[in-house]
Amino acid sequence: MIASLNKKALIIATLVSALVIAMVFYGSRELQNFDPALIGYLFGTVFAFFGVVYRYSVWLQRPPTWMYFKRTWQFFFKGKVFAHLLFFGKEFVQNIGFQKFIYPRGRTRWIGHFLMAIGCTLAFAITFPLTFGWIHFTMNAETSLNPESIRMYEAHFFGFKIFEFKLGSFIAFLTFHALNWCSWLVIIGVLIFMRRRLTQAGLIATQTFEGDLLPLILLLAISITGLGLSYDYEFMKGMAYDFMAVTHAVTVIMFLIWIPFGKFFHIIQRPAQIGAHIYKREGMKRGMATCPHTGKEFATQLHIDDLKIVTKELGFDFRLEDGSSHLDLSPEGKRSRLAMAHLKARQENGGKLFG
Amino acid sequence: MARLPVSPEKLIEQFGPHRNYPPQEGFVGRDEPDEIVNTHCCFCGMQCGIKLLVKKNHVVGFEPWMEFPFNEGRLCPKGVQRYMQNNHPDRLLQPIQRQEGVGFQNTSWDEAMEKTVSEIKRIQASYGNDAFSILSGVSLSNEKSYLMGKFARVAVKTANLDYNGRLCMVSAGAGNKKAFGLDRISNNFQDLERAEVIMISGANVSETFPTLTHWIWRARDYGAKLIVVDPRVIPLARTADLHLAIRPGTDSALYGAMLKYLADHDMLDHDFIENYTTGFEQTLEAVKDYTLEWAEEVTGIEKQKIELASQWWGKAATSFLLHARGIEHHSKGVDNVVGCINLVLATGRIGKPYCGYGTITGQGNGQGGREHGHKCDQLPGNRDITNPEHRKYIADVWGIDEKDMPGKGLTAYELIEAIHRGEVKGLLSICFNPLVSLPNNNYVREALEKLEFYVCIDFFMNETSRHADIILPGSLHEEEEGTVTTAEGRVVRIKRAVDPPGQARTDTSIILELAKRLGAEDKFTYNSSEDIFNELRVASKGGTADYFGITYKKIEDNMGVFWPCPTLDHPGTPRLWEDKKFATADGKAHFNAAAYRPPGEVTDEEYPVVMTTGRVVSQYLSGTQTRRIGKLVDLYPEPKLEIHPELAAKYGIGQDEMVRVSTRRGSDEFPANIVETIRKDTVFLPYHWPGKKSANQFTPGTLDPVSKIPEFKVCACKLEPLGIKSPPSTDSQAFASV
Amino acid sequence: MPETNYQTNQEFFVDMQRCIGCKACEMACAECETNGHDSMIHVNYVDRAVTIQTTVQVCMHCDDPVCANVCPADAISKDEFGVVHTANTARCIGCSNCVMACPFGVPKKNEAYDLMMKCNMCYDRTSAGKKPMCATVCPTQALFYGTREEIARMRPNSSPVNNFIFGNEKVSTKVNIMMPKGTTVLRVD
Repeated sequence: MIASLNKKALIIATLVSALVIAMVFYGSRELQNFDPALIGYLFGTVFAFFGVVYRYSVWLQRPPTWMYFKRTWQFFFKGKVFAHLLFFGKEFVQNIGFQKFIYPRGRTRWIGHFLMAIGCTLAFAITFPLTFGWIHFTMNAETSLNPESIRMYEAHFFGFKIFEFKLGSFIAFLTFHALNWCSWLVIIGVLIFMRRRLTQAGLIATQTFEGDLLPLILLLAISITGLGLSYDYEFMKGMAYDFMAVTHAVTVIMFLIWIPFGKFFHIIQRPAQIGAHIYKREGMKRGMATCPHTGKEFATQLHIDDLKIVTKELGFDFRLEDGSSHLDLSPEGKRSRLAMAHLKARQENGGKLFG
Repeated sequence: MARLPVSPEKLIEQFGPHRNYPPQEGFVGRDEPDEIVNTHCCFCGMQCGIKLLVKKNHVVGFEPWMEFPFNEGRLCPKGVQRYMQNNHPDRLLQPIQRQEGVGFQNTSWDEAMEKTVSEIKRIQASYGNDAFSILSGVSLSNEKSYLMGKFARVAVKTANLDYNGRLCMVSAGAGNKKAFGLDRISNNFQDLERAEVIMISGANVSETFPTLTHWIWRARDYGAKLIVVDPRVIPLARTADLHLAIRPGTDSALYGAMLKYLADHDMLDHDFIENYTTGFEQTLEAVKDYTLEWAEEVTGIEKQKIELASQWWGKAATSFLLHARGIEHHSKGVDNVVGCINLVLATGRIGKPYCGYGTITGQGNGQGGREHGHKCDQLPGNRDITNPEHRKYIADVWGIDEKDMPGKGLTAYELIEAIHRGEVKGLLSICFNPLVSLPNNNYVREALEKLEFYVCIDFFMNETSRHADIILPGSLHEEEEGTVTTAEGRVVRIKRAVDPPGQARTDTSIILELAKRLGAEDKFTYNSSEDIFNELRVASKGGTADYFGITYKKIEDNMGVFWPCPTLDHPGTPRLWEDKKFATADGKAHFNAAAYRPPGEVTDEEYPVVMTTGRVVSQYLSGTQTRRIGKLVDLYPEPKLEIHPELAAKYGIGQDEMVRVSTRRGSDEFPANIVETIRKDTVFLPYHWPGKKSANQFTPGTLDPVSKIPEFKVCACKLEPLGIKSPPSTDSQAFASV
Repeated sequence: MPETNYQTNQEFFVDMQRCIGCKACEMACAECETNGHDSMIHVNYVDRAVTIQTTVQVCMHCDDPVCANVCPADAISKDEFGVVHTANTARCIGCSNCVMACPFGVPKKNEAYDLMMKCNMCYDRTSAGKKPMCATVCPTQALFYGTREEIARMRPNSSPVNNFIFGNEKVSTKVNIMMPKGTTVLRVD
């Protein structure tokens, strides 16, 4: 078991996990602001961090991934960093924020995904700092002592006061129920996707339970039990609150632990798409490859050259006798050359094309 | 008044053609259809079996019909996309009438019918019965084809009824009747499988009948030699054992020379010629001077190749000869056809297993539609309208006095000429788009503009019906029960999968209503398509195309029945002439002399290049349907001028550059596609597009003297390079060109 | 994968010399439920200026798929039947490594989706015991799906070949190409 682990990745993941723990310690003002009730969540989160970083590091070590990773940062820091940042920012909003590439594949597909994505990321943004003790709320001491004044609540981040709001105000309503809003977004998104996965023949044929349905079920369970927690408190006078709390904690911790292994890892992988875009953009500046068969440009020369290195590292050798490579051909060129070789082979055999 | 009420652009905006694509995430409910309907493709003469998936009265997809014996699930791109003609935004949902300066406005069925009937009556009262004409089409089922013939003669009482088969199979029909006394392919296509030599002449099988390729390839798997005669290296010709790249318009010279070669080298079936045929001597006499050298000179094919083809044909034990529009669309289409038949008869290879001959019928119901009487000279059962006995028999079936039955009328193109001359004033058209499909279409447009009244029955507004006064929204193939007869002579069942949408009606109900309003209700009392078919059975009884023994049930039980099928216990006739008793008066097959004569228009100094026209795989006929199906349009977005690199170099034309093409009839610009797969002296344009992108603005209205088919396949043109690159095809919008 | 009725005795046989370039397969592929209305099969002219020859290419489903190896996102996988599946939509980052590395020129990058898509042998149909859509409709049977016995009976003078040489690389595949009888390998260079 230990032997099969990737050493480099293990070290990086351990370091990052230690860093997270340290940040928790200091971010919560030496655990002053840490809520001990969230200890289970904290462990889950730290494990998730460990797992994600471990897997990410293993992933990066694969030749094709490393090539992209390396090139992205090379390009990023060579030349105009600001222009790259601007491009990165734009792409981040479009592709990570709005997932615009999903839209052309269908409107409902995009709506469903966007709702889930926005719900989840908002929830992460709230729960991680809460769990780490980085965010906490206090009553404004002055207002609480003075019965005449309106009571004010203060939100703190890393121990610093960020803003304050009136108790019972609209902002208070939004803030205290933020996770409920996230839940509703996720539930709608999940239902849209569930419907697709249960009715569309193409999806039914290719999906797996653990890969495609379980993640949806998990998200649904988290959202419903989370909503249950607040509505139980508000409308059912806290009946079975403990049960709700435990179920919610279990589903969330399962979710966290599973991030590195299952479908949710794609959330972590997705920004690599921007790397691929930068790679293409930079490659185009450097020049295009022309297919020797079709005579048309088909990819960046950088891409083809890098692929030759990557395939070699992976144990594939497409070099031809004349010193060129099969990879110099465009996809159309490759198909045509195959067909020409096939025709030649057929013709050489007495010209028989049939039978 | 048949000028366009507003600009064509405005009509296109409202009525299309628009390209229909499936919804991005697929049709809702396709996975769980309400119904799966076994029917046929609506396009070519193969009539491939296909299953349509129906959800809530919409066709939402297809599934291959693996059991149907001809195609066993196989389809061409048009067949795969055929279901996209359903749910189409351009579909006419209500009767509309022309409004000058406005376009077309909705009207009620009652008003539209009333106007139509009163105009028919007015025109006939003022100018005579024959001044109102009808143009029909063979995308119609057998039932509707029969009904149109009866409607014209009994309800409208006009002689001037013809159909778009006039641009399709009439040369073959005439040639076959001359030779065999009957007009049908001699064998079903399964007989191709073990033919030793297959000769395919003027038939771009791989693009116009792709599913037929299977049977040819099967034969080649068994070692058959394939001879392809075509001015271009069509996909079928690329791998053929012998490709005869013939100069357009010289086909009969090739067959004449081959016949002479067979005779000179005694590769004849003397027993067959002597006992079962007539006319061999005269036929041979007509070609006595047709040496290989002469043939090479005329046809442009090396004599060694002609010799080889003759030897293969002469020595084969089994063979199949197929031809299509490539040899039929000529001012000597019938000569070309009999030239082919002469080769078949000389070797006696007919009426036996794997020995076949026939034309590959082009249109969906090109076979059945040309048998049951919506042709100007014909009555049901492929009877002759000038034959007193035939007239009497049909008059009795119809319950009319023989004297009241109109005689022979004008053929399709002659009808257009008569309209142009002002002799014919009114027109009813159905399933016909002459502005795209007839030659010299600028002339056709002039004719249409002279009509006093034009009513069209169709499901989409096509280029021609923009000129109409009234358009009655009819039905699609999948919206009515019926039968069609495939190119093999197999009668198959077309099933109603959905009902016509909106206020659209079935074509049959429209015709019946018109007949009623014209005062012939008692002659048109049918409750179903099957009723019409049962009358057709009786009407065809005793004719050469005898359907009497065919019933709906029998067709369904056997997945088709081959006519002739004279009695209810008759199994049908997949292979003709096995008894060597031909349907001619003397019971013998007839050789027909076919001396070579040049095409109607030959090249000269002013117009030095030969032009020929044809089809592409993704489009069907005038494109009323296929130019509206997005994915088919995208496969071949615009017509390109195919030209050999040597000819292109002579004129300084570069790849994808625009070329001005001119003939004596029209002139327009097309992008060049420079390819070595065409003769050096010939250019090619496919014809499915309208307006500026139309190939038929160039083709001449020269007709075959017998069949009256126009000469689409050869004319003289000149080329002028414009020296500019053509814009990308995808931007061309040729599908909706004006 | 869920329960399937995948017929392991049925195989794919391609013979591009039978292809007439009609693109029925391309139209039919887009009717397959697994890839929506995008076609995964390729039909192209080999060199239109000089010949009308077309070629047709389905995914060959390599034993050791180069596409999966070069994928930086682990988006491509091969299943127990040897079917190499299209990119996992969640993972694919649209880098086109697979598109450029596949020796048969099969994967397609859809720029609008920023996603690679490829033939998965009509998994919705083959997993239900049916034939792929392209091979079902192909009017020339350049694409044939059936048993080895069937193809041997129908085309006795041809042998199915699933070994290919591209320069120094030998690639073996699940899909066969029909070659003259006795041939065991197709050399492309």
